[in-house]
Amino acid sequence: MSLKKWTALIVAMMMAVGCLAACSTAPAEAAATAEPEATQEAVAAEPEATAEPITLVFWHTYGDGEEEQLKNVVLPMWSELHPEITIEAVRQDGSQYHEMIVTSFGTGQSPDVARIDIVNTAAYASQGGLVALSDYEDFAALKDTFLEGPLSTNLYQNSYYGLPLDTNCKAAVINTAIMKELGIEGAPATMEEFIAAAETRGTYSLNVSGVGDWDLYPYFWLFGGALTDEGFTKASGYLDGAGSVAAIQTMLDLHAKKVFTIRDVDGSVDAWDGINSEYAMFFEGPWFFGSYEERLSQGITAATIPTYNGRSASVVGGENIAVFATSKHTDAAYEFAKFMTSEAVQLAMLEKGQLPVLKSLVNNETVLGNPVWSVYMAQLESASARIPSPNNEQIKQVWSDAMTEIFVNGGDVQATLTAAAQQMDALLG
Amino acid sequence: MPQGKSPCGTALSVHHRAKGRRKVKHVQSNAATKRKWKKGARGWLTALPFILPGLILVGLFVLYPMLFTIRISLSNYKIVQGQIDFVGLKNYINILTDASGRFWYAYRNNFLYALVTVPVILFGGMTFAYLINNLKRGRTLFKVGFYLPVITSWVIVSLVFTYMFNNSDRGLINYLLVDKLHILKEYVPWLLREWSGNAAIWLMGSWKNIGWAMLIFLAALQSIPRDLYEAADLDGAGIWGRFRHITIASLKPTAYYVLVNMIIGSFNVFIQVMMLTEGKPNGRTSVLQYLLYDKAFGQFQFGEASAIGLISAVTIVLLTALLNRLLKLDTVEKGGADV
Repeated sequence: MSLKKWTALIVAMMMAVGCLAACSTAPAEAAATAEPEATQEAVAAEPEATAEPITLVFWHTYGDGEEEQLKNVVLPMWSELHPEITIEAVRQDGSQYHEMIVTSFGTGQSPDVARIDIVNTAAYASQGGLVALSDYEDFAALKDTFLEGPLSTNLYQNSYYGLPLDTNCKAAVINTAIMKELGIEGAPATMEEFIAAAETRGTYSLNVSGVGDWDLYPYFWLFGGALTDEGFTKASGYLDGAGSVAAIQTMLDLHAKKVFTIRDVDGSVDAWDGINSEYAMFFEGPWFFGSYEERLSQGITAATIPTYNGRSASVVGGENIAVFATSKHTDAAYEFAKFMTSEAVQLAMLEKGQLPVLKSLVNNETVLGNPVWSVYMAQLESASARIPSPNNEQIKQVWSDAMTEIFVNGGDVQATLTAAAQQMDALLG
Repeated sequence: MPQGKSPCGTALSVHHRAKGRRKVKHVQSNAATKRKWKKGARGWLTALPFILPGLILVGLFVLYPMLFTIRISLSNYKIVQGQIDFVGLKNYINILTDASGRFWYAYRNNFLYALVTVPVILFGGMTFAYLINNLKRGRTLFKVGFYLPVITSWVIVSLVFTYMFNNSDRGLINYLLVDKLHILKEYVPWLLREWSGNAAIWLMGSWKNIGWAMLIFLAALQSIPRDLYEAADLDGAGIWGRFRHITIASLKPTAYYVLVNMIIGSFNVFIQVMMLTEGKPNGRTSVLQYLLYDKAFGQFQFGEASAIGLISAVTIVLLTALLNRLLKLDTVEKGGADV
């Protein structure tokens, strides 16, 4: 082969490599252009041409029972309403779900619509990964149908980036036999009553797993603590305020009196295990009562968290449904999101323990008739959401660092909370 | 003096001749350089088709990601839009001056991991290899036994270790120390304490890698010529003399190889931290790779994550260069050949 031919061959190969390199950046560029386009589509809210069949990819992390209900009951309902739009429901591994979504942002392989954890919604929105659903014309009317707490978890910079899909919170799990030993019939009405009875027992009666936000917020709020102002803009003056210091001090006192144990601090038995024989009470989500009849036969019941100084408290959990900015069918995806929050679907999923997010279903007979769901729906009235922030992970870390400092290293409560509040201020700003 | 030629004219003509010679030389040298270049280029062009596939792959999968990582480490990177805003050294400053000190704890833990596990793996591997090599029967059984942890999944091993170091009497260690042997009064949450958490990570790393070192040393032991030992016998060398002057000396190059590999590997520790402690409490058991993962996937701080990755890479390069210099690895081959 002559020199010229070799040169031509090399130039051709270099061009091919150049093209490949250019292609490798294409998803990011596509994503970059996708957001404004998606937003414009959202603003216009024009129904998509329905003549052509569409397939929407829906990611979720439902368990076996919920997935069965989705496939056998919910999706056939959707097919009847929208035969031209096929839903490809993809069940993802819950433990690595967040990482899957982050990776999909980078590769441009995000789903059209997904069920996501409420705490991640603001973070995904801040990355430009989600469509602002509040830009749709009918959203203003739609938003009034949802419970305030779950809806607020979709808020980021004055726009809503998702619809609440299902909700939950923590309520009290009671071992009635041990409560009886303490002289309390059934569930205690107040924490004061419970503490007075448990102080004399000499062994831990109340358990929490760790020092993270989901674990300790209910206790912190119950004993009078506050994280930030109402608008989630400032932690100084709240997290390190007198009420918060007193709340942490109450927990420390209960710990010292062997009433309250933190598994990760004391090496004590996990609550799910210990509630059968050692603990009188712990706070947990509705999933603990997989089979309520079985739990009841073991003498374990659900109750609202006993009040302290006249008020109860809990932390809101659950999932939202969000439309991804890289979707080519954002209108259809929004339609599906609305369908998933309709009364019929919410009731269908309730059968598998997914608590509804609609105001109209709070007093529904099915909810009120169930001994577990009715407790959790009642508890939601006093439950608060965690700070809706794109810096949620860092905020969680600040909280858990501070609690470790106090409960493990014996750090000064006021000084630790003041330092944590300053760090949180920077993350809220 | 020749007629018609003044001394000045003679000097001029000498000057011109010299200039002419220089010009000729210059032209000749230019031609030689051109020929050299042409020859070199022809050589490159002949070799290029053979090395081009490799070059393309290295460019695509090594150089491009590396350069892109450097760029992201100096930028604020928004993953969905692919938006990259240059911020200078801000990411580096952020991680180095973070109030929680997470980076420095992670950096420290990588060095501690190397400091603790490398000697254990090195000497453990060497000892077991020596013992197995001297076995008359059952060599294969022991080789398989020691190598089994190497091929067992990190995740499965992590789950076993999590169970062993679990809280309360549900964990094997607690059960033995508190309930059976009564050495401790209270149960200890091993994986949630700074030093016991780190110790569990070191133990798992050592247990998992010792079999690999054993196999490498065993291969090296089996390659030592028997006539060396026979000659030493004739010279009246004892067991210790033979072990020290023949076995140890022959294993030196292998030991350096294992040492360098293990030290570099110490900066890639990740799975055991993610599975056992997740860096708890407060990042005190974290390592650089786990911190990188947490920054990128947990906090969307891709710039800071890239900066951590680059600091790890620079540390590994520096350590490797330092080890080469300290252990005189370039002369090891010669030393090995002499044995």
